[in-house]
Amino acid sequence: MLETLSLFLGIWLLFLLLAIYYLSQSPDGSVGRLRESVSEHLSAESRAKALLREMLSENQYQQLIKFGYLEVTSPSIENRIYRIPGAGGLVKVYERGCAVMELCLQPAEPLPDGDVVVMHKLMIEGNEQEYLQKANHFAPGIISLRCQHL
Amino acid sequence: MGMLRVMSRRGDDRIVWDSNKVETNDPEAVAAIREAERIFNEERKRGATAFRVESGKTVERIDSFDRTAEQIVIVPRVVGG
Repeated sequence: MLETLSLFLGIWLLFLLLAIYYLSQSPDGSVGRLRESVSEHLSAESRAKALLREMLSENQYQQLIKFGYLEVTSPSIENRIYRIPGAGGLVKVYERGCAVMELCLQPAEPLPDGDVVVMHKLMIEGNEQEYLQKANHFAPGIISLRCQHL
Repeated sequence: MGMLRVMSRRGDDRIVWDSNKVETNDPEAVAAIREAERIFNEERKRGATAFRVESGKTVERIDSFDRTAEQIVIVPRVVGG
C-alpha cells in the first residue's frame, strides 16, 4: 500500500516538475509573464520612490517615512493642512488642527503609491480649486477603507 | 536642461532635452523637445494635468508646453473616488 502511494506521489511530482520546466522555458508562458509582471512592478515602485525623493524636501520625506503621511499646506486657505497618506486612502483635511473633512481622489489609471503621493501634492499646490472640485468630500472619520483604483 | 516626466503605472517616463542645444538647432535636441511637446499635447487631450516644477519656486499648473521649464510633470486624469 505504502509502495503504491509512493509511486503515485513520485509520478505526480515528476509531472509537476515537467510542467514548471515547460512553462518557464516558454517566452510567453505563465511563469514568464508572472516574472515580467513582478519585475515591472518592482521597477515602477523604484522609479516612483526616486520621484518622491526629488519632489519632497528632506523634512517632508522624513515625515512620510516616520508617520506614513505627508502634510501639505493649502496655498489659498489659511490654516488648512492636507494630510496625504503614503499608502493610499483618503486625504484628511485639518483646519487649526481640527479634522474638517476627508477627500477621495484617484488617478483614472493605477499609479505606484509614491506617484499617488506626488500627484496629490502637485494638485494641491498647483491646482487646489480643481482638486477640491473633483474630489469626493466626506465628513471626517466616516470612511476608513482604502480607496481602490478605478 | 529640461525634463518632461509622465506618470504612469510603470512609474514616470522621462524625456530630457538640452535647452542650450535647442537654441543652436542641434537636431537631436530639437527632436527631443518636439517629442516632449507631442507627448505633452497628447496627454493633455487625454485629460492629464501638467505642472511646472522648479527648485525654490511654487508649483504651477500649465496648459501649454513650456520649453523653458526646468521640469514638467504630467499627472494622469483624476476622478473622485
